[in-house]
Amino acid sequence: METRPKIALFQCKWCLYSEPDQNWVDNELPSSMHLVKLPCTGRINPLYILNAVQGGADGIVISGCLPEKCHYKEGNLRALRQHDEFLNFLDYIGYERSRVRFVWLDLQDRGRIQKELADFKSEIAKLGKAKVLATRSKVSPGGQYA
Amino acid sequence: MPELKTELRNNIEQLLNDQAVDVVIAFKKADLPLRPQPAFFRNVEELEDLEYNGLCQNNLANYLTRYPHDTKIGIVVRGCESRSVNALIVEKQHPRENLYMIGVPCQGILDIRKIINKTGEDITDYSEDGDQVSVIFKGNEIKLQRSDLLHDSCLRCVHPNPVNADVLLGDPLPEGDPTIVRQAIEEFEALDRDERYAWFQKEAERCIRCYACREACPMCYCTECFVDHTTPRWTESDISQAGTQAWHIIRAFHQAGRCTSCGACERACPMDIKMTYLTDKLNKDMLEVYQFEAGMDDNTPPPFASFNLDDKNRFVI
Amino acid sequence: MMYILVKKNLDQKLSEWSAKYEVVAPQKVEAYSQFLPFTESSELALNEPHNTRYPPKSLFLPQSEVMLKYNKRLNKFDEIRILPEKRIIFGIRPCDASALTLLDTVFDTEEYQDPYWAGRRENTILVGLGCSEPPSTCFCTTVGYGPFNHDGLDAIMTELDDVFVIEALSAKGEKLFSDFPAATNEHELSVLRIQSNAKQGMNQAFETEGLKQTLDHLFESDYWSEIAESCLGCGVCTYLCPTCFCFDIVDEVQRNERVRNWDTCMFRIYSQEASGHNPRPTISERTRQRLMHKYSYWLDHIEKIGCTGCGRCVRYCPVGLDIRAMLRTASNFESEVVNVG
Repeated sequence: METRPKIALFQCKWCLYSEPDQNWVDNELPSSMHLVKLPCTGRINPLYILNAVQGGADGIVISGCLPEKCHYKEGNLRALRQHDEFLNFLDYIGYERSRVRFVWLDLQDRGRIQKELADFKSEIAKLGKAKVLATRSKVSPGGQYA
Repeated sequence: MPELKTELRNNIEQLLNDQAVDVVIAFKKADLPLRPQPAFFRNVEELEDLEYNGLCQNNLANYLTRYPHDTKIGIVVRGCESRSVNALIVEKQHPRENLYMIGVPCQGILDIRKIINKTGEDITDYSEDGDQVSVIFKGNEIKLQRSDLLHDSCLRCVHPNPVNADVLLGDPLPEGDPTIVRQAIEEFEALDRDERYAWFQKEAERCIRCYACREACPMCYCTECFVDHTTPRWTESDISQAGTQAWHIIRAFHQAGRCTSCGACERACPMDIKMTYLTDKLNKDMLEVYQFEAGMDDNTPPPFASFNLDDKNRFVI
Repeated sequence: MMYILVKKNLDQKLSEWSAKYEVVAPQKVEAYSQFLPFTESSELALNEPHNTRYPPKSLFLPQSEVMLKYNKRLNKFDEIRILPEKRIIFGIRPCDASALTLLDTVFDTEEYQDPYWAGRRENTILVGLGCSEPPSTCFCTTVGYGPFNHDGLDAIMTELDDVFVIEALSAKGEKLFSDFPAATNEHELSVLRIQSNAKQGMNQAFETEGLKQTLDHLFESDYWSEIAESCLGCGVCTYLCPTCFCFDIVDEVQRNERVRNWDTCMFRIYSQEASGHNPRPTISERTRQRLMHKYSYWLDHIEKIGCTGCGRCVRYCPVGLDIRAMLRTASNFESEVVNVG
């Protein structure tokens, strides 16, 4: 079973227009990828991204709808503002911005999510494990369990 | 600054006498000469204790959110404080009509730690006259230059004059130089990744999670902070690296487009942790990308509370 | 018996001890001082007039301490107890040492014994450094201690120009210093003079006689909301306090560790109940708890005030609140209440 690179996929549940694609994401995602399905990219709090990073994700993909195509009219526009700045901010304190990728999907983008994820995975594999920002790891030595 | 203090006192006295306000938030003298305290004046008699000098280090806008909306509040504001008040008005934390802002152009807040560094811990008296500050340490008077003692965030201050105040006491000061803070941030950005992280790590790991930065900040008024959530739990609550880093990142990010660079967080920190380099970066980006500065008026919502279709060009497909 | 330690031999002596003990001494971190393990490159901060900013209670009750690690799947756990072998805490101030004896009555009683606390206490030798020039923010004499108080210490040092004069106070202390040169009469006289000068230089900051009754009397009054009006509700005073000991045990589920963290009554969530009800809903009730605990409830338990006058809360409060001034106004307030009533 593949475990690295670990990738967290935050997906807006409306962004994949084709049923086979959504099926693939729901059921056939590689074991190193972790799916978080949300009602809209606007629901993604920067805390979610940070949690994924601190939980040990090597890369993060956020997939959402194009502007003016948001199911909730403006969710993605608000999300873009926040996430864009959040990544600038993480970059400022040393985290590589390239570890997070946005995928904005359109109606005709069938089969694109698979390609994007594969491409992103190979890029993250090149970058290796993130060296900055502490992950939630044991803080005390000793003990055989856990 | 004795004239300014007299003017301030007269102003507050009149407000209280006219019953134009229920309470006036200002500073009062305390036993320790370096530590004037925030004070809440309801009677004219209490004004004996009124204080205003460079050592008034707290952001008074912090107390605004404690009052019900129908309380008529008078508040003494300097440049950054007035902007914090404006930002709170935008966020509907108090109606503008129930506020009376007594504006004082600010010459900068002094950093108590810088004073103590130059003299010693046990200062028994303090006075200031223009650019001169004099303290009594072990019975000896020591004269210091005000400019050497300014708090770091005040050295970078751009707007020393109150914005949107009802009355302005004293003459307006020249605006600060916005390139100073920009340069400081650009210098930090120019460091390589590891150095930047090493700095962040060094600062964050001294954190003792006392949340003085949060409580001292006027914009941190959430009833329940994300670190206090138990279901779901967002961060580790101990002083592990992951926990303290998450706190510092998210605390700063929640200030994006709302922070007025007053530096109250840094002055409150008992462990001398640098924090303004984080919020200053966000402020710089807000200015560059959205041409927005927090609290410059009382009706423009911060960039993250609004959206614009023009942003669509920034969607990289 | 009094011994001397020549100042210029200090580093050498600490290094020698380091071979046999873990030596912890106050050191500079940024602009403040904190107790840290002594190494060759350590920059000692013994000459500050006051105590370290971060309290040495953390050496016995760490701010965060892993108590056990567990595995939910296997349904098993391991107890984690990392205790020091043998340790010398060098240069602890008398207020912080006496605070440890107060905390002993919480963590090490006949009924309950905290193995973490007791283990650390047992393995530690406390070498105190008396305060020759206590700053005006300190008030140890007011609460019944003093700048050269002996409580909890194994030895106490008095700083002279080029030597520390050491008085051994326990068998442990006597053993540690037995091969040190003895102090001369002259030394002992200077020590007496310094100690009495230090004590005389300190004022009575507030009246402790009858303070408990006053506070108890004021429990329901407006006194609390008045003194706490500018309080921010942060944890500076309690986290830096050497006698505050509240803790919270949390499961860090993502890393499968159970951790004991400091907690403070000044936080809203400290008293928040699961239902959402909070019996101490505002900062005034929380301030009341903090003050009453120190100056009233401790007296109910051990007939001692739960404060050793270290002055940290006075020095580092972000809004400059001064516990001494608060307590002074208590008696004024009481007379007002009585007069009106």
